[in-house]
Amino acid sequence: MKARAALLAAMLGAAAAAAQDEPRRGTIRGSVDVRREMPTAEDRPAVGAVGMAPHHAAPDRRKSVVYLDTAPRGAFELREGARAVMDQRDETFVPHVLAVAAGTVVDFNNNDRTYHNVFSFTKGSRFDLGRYGRGRSKSVRFDRPGIVRVFCDIHSHMSAFILVFGHRFFAVTDALGRYQIDGVPPGTYTLVAWNDGQARESRTVTVPETAGVEADFVLK
Amino acid sequence: MIRAFVLAAALLAASGAGAETPGPAPVRLTLGGEVSLAIAPQDPTFFNYTDYEYNPLRLARLGLSGAFRVHDRLALLGEVRSDNLGTPRAHALYVRIRPWPQRPFDIQAGLIPPVFGAFARRSYATDNFLIGYPLAYQYLTAIRSDALPATAADLVRMRGRGWRPSFPIGSQEERPGLPLVNALRWDTGVQARAGSERFELLAAYTTGTLSSPRVRDDNGARQVSARIASRPIVGLVLGASAARGAYLARESTEGLAFDADNFLQQAFGLDVEYSRDYWLVRAEGVWSGWDLPSIGGPWVSGPLRARAFSLEGRYKLWPGLYAAARVDHLGFNRMQGMSVTWDAPVLRVEAGVGYHLRRDVLVKAVYQHNRRDGSRRRALDVAAVQLLFWF
Repeated sequence: MKARAALLAAMLGAAAAAAQDEPRRGTIRGSVDVRREMPTAEDRPAVGAVGMAPHHAAPDRRKSVVYLDTAPRGAFELREGARAVMDQRDETFVPHVLAVAAGTVVDFNNNDRTYHNVFSFTKGSRFDLGRYGRGRSKSVRFDRPGIVRVFCDIHSHMSAFILVFGHRFFAVTDALGRYQIDGVPPGTYTLVAWNDGQARESRTVTVPETAGVEADFVLK
Repeated sequence: MIRAFVLAAALLAASGAGAETPGPAPVRLTLGGEVSLAIAPQDPTFFNYTDYEYNPLRLARLGLSGAFRVHDRLALLGEVRSDNLGTPRAHALYVRIRPWPQRPFDIQAGLIPPVFGAFARRSYATDNFLIGYPLAYQYLTAIRSDALPATAADLVRMRGRGWRPSFPIGSQEERPGLPLVNALRWDTGVQARAGSERFELLAAYTTGTLSSPRVRDDNGARQVSARIASRPIVGLVLGASAARGAYLARESTEGLAFDADNFLQQAFGLDVEYSRDYWLVRAEGVWSGWDLPSIGGPWVSGPLRARAFSLEGRYKLWPGLYAAARVDHLGFNRMQGMSVTWDAPVLRVEAGVGYHLRRDVLVKAVYQHNRRDGSRRRALDVAAVQLLFWF
């Protein structure tokens, strides 16, 4: 709960840290090594079913989100028209974790041969897109910073995270766990690494005026 | 019937080879559960009772289910339930086998889910939009498996008294009558499933019958049941079911010149489901017939027949909030020489709303109207609420 509150505060960008008008901007890069045991996505026991459930893909839970806990003043740049995509493929949300700036419209494409019904009961971001089939897409605009849990009403094993930020200083790690946040004004910040709602670690980093900074995380 | 199923299953399994493969088996044990509490006023009319003690509108249920995957071809599944804080009992306990990993063909054996119809496999509170059950799967008719009317008049005297019919032959204990299909208890036996995304074929060979599923055999006979389902387009499911088995217990025919295993329950079912956007509509019809021995006049002529039809729908009004309704009718045939049907026809209308406090917490509120064309207590109007938590 504390971690969630801290993340929300960061996303709201409540604390301003650095100078308003900085001509130079730096880069924060590094890696996130997720060493905790990953829970395997598994259906609830389908006792009422006759036969084994069809195969579905496993979500990629190793991807993490790295973000500034204290955003620079003036960092609230809501980009109108920004769009992102969260596919529904092989009964899995792809990507499993999506990080977007507030104001972004997320398209939920259905690429499966079955119906999906995307919904969220996250406070402030409740939505239900109803049932729709292959080739169709429905969209939701996320205006409120926070963590949005996304589910499918038909397939209980399907879930995903959408992290909505009030600033643009965040990044999702790649397949090797690397990340890079560009355009950071010089200053001292709290940098946070977050994984799958289960692990979170923060550290202080100072971005100099003339160079970037490296910050590696190990999440257990 | 069995031969036809085996042939069709083989064709379906062969045609679906490679289309459906079981996933990797990294998880050995998965657990789930459902806790529900339904509150309603007393029901002196017994419209909703499944037996003397259990009424879905007044039921506290704790269910714990588990699946243990021994191998990617073999799993053990079970569910334990406690109703109204009573002694926990096994609701399901069976082994699931997939003989050929690449073929969509599965075998299950033990205390298994029913293959007949659509509702019985989704009678969980999480799957039921409302609180009450469809009449075909819950309402107690006036016939019993362990006691027999000597004459047609004995049976007609029990019209509309399915919660406690009594007859002169067989058991003299007070026990409830039989529903068309019992959704509260599962049967024991072996079943097979073959299918693809478009077509699915289920068949079962069990100890009890639709009306009277059993763990222990009581008549030496078996039931054969089957279902075929088709999904011609996304969102549409069409199903047809049939079952045939001896339902009378040996004790009901002791001392008579009849063998219990000669008296069959035969049933047919049709079901359809269509969903799109915020709508989901289901309709189901069940036709059942029970043979009864003719012992004295006026004779019980021909099989006793019952037909049930239900139509239900759900519409999502708002994220987490839905409205649902079900209209349900249960009718019976008339025996030769009798001026009334052998049991009293029933009409039920249930409507309500459900709201998700969280993804895994749902509260429902319903209003239910029941009308019965017979017995002293002919109508019931009742409101009920249910709180449900699942994990």
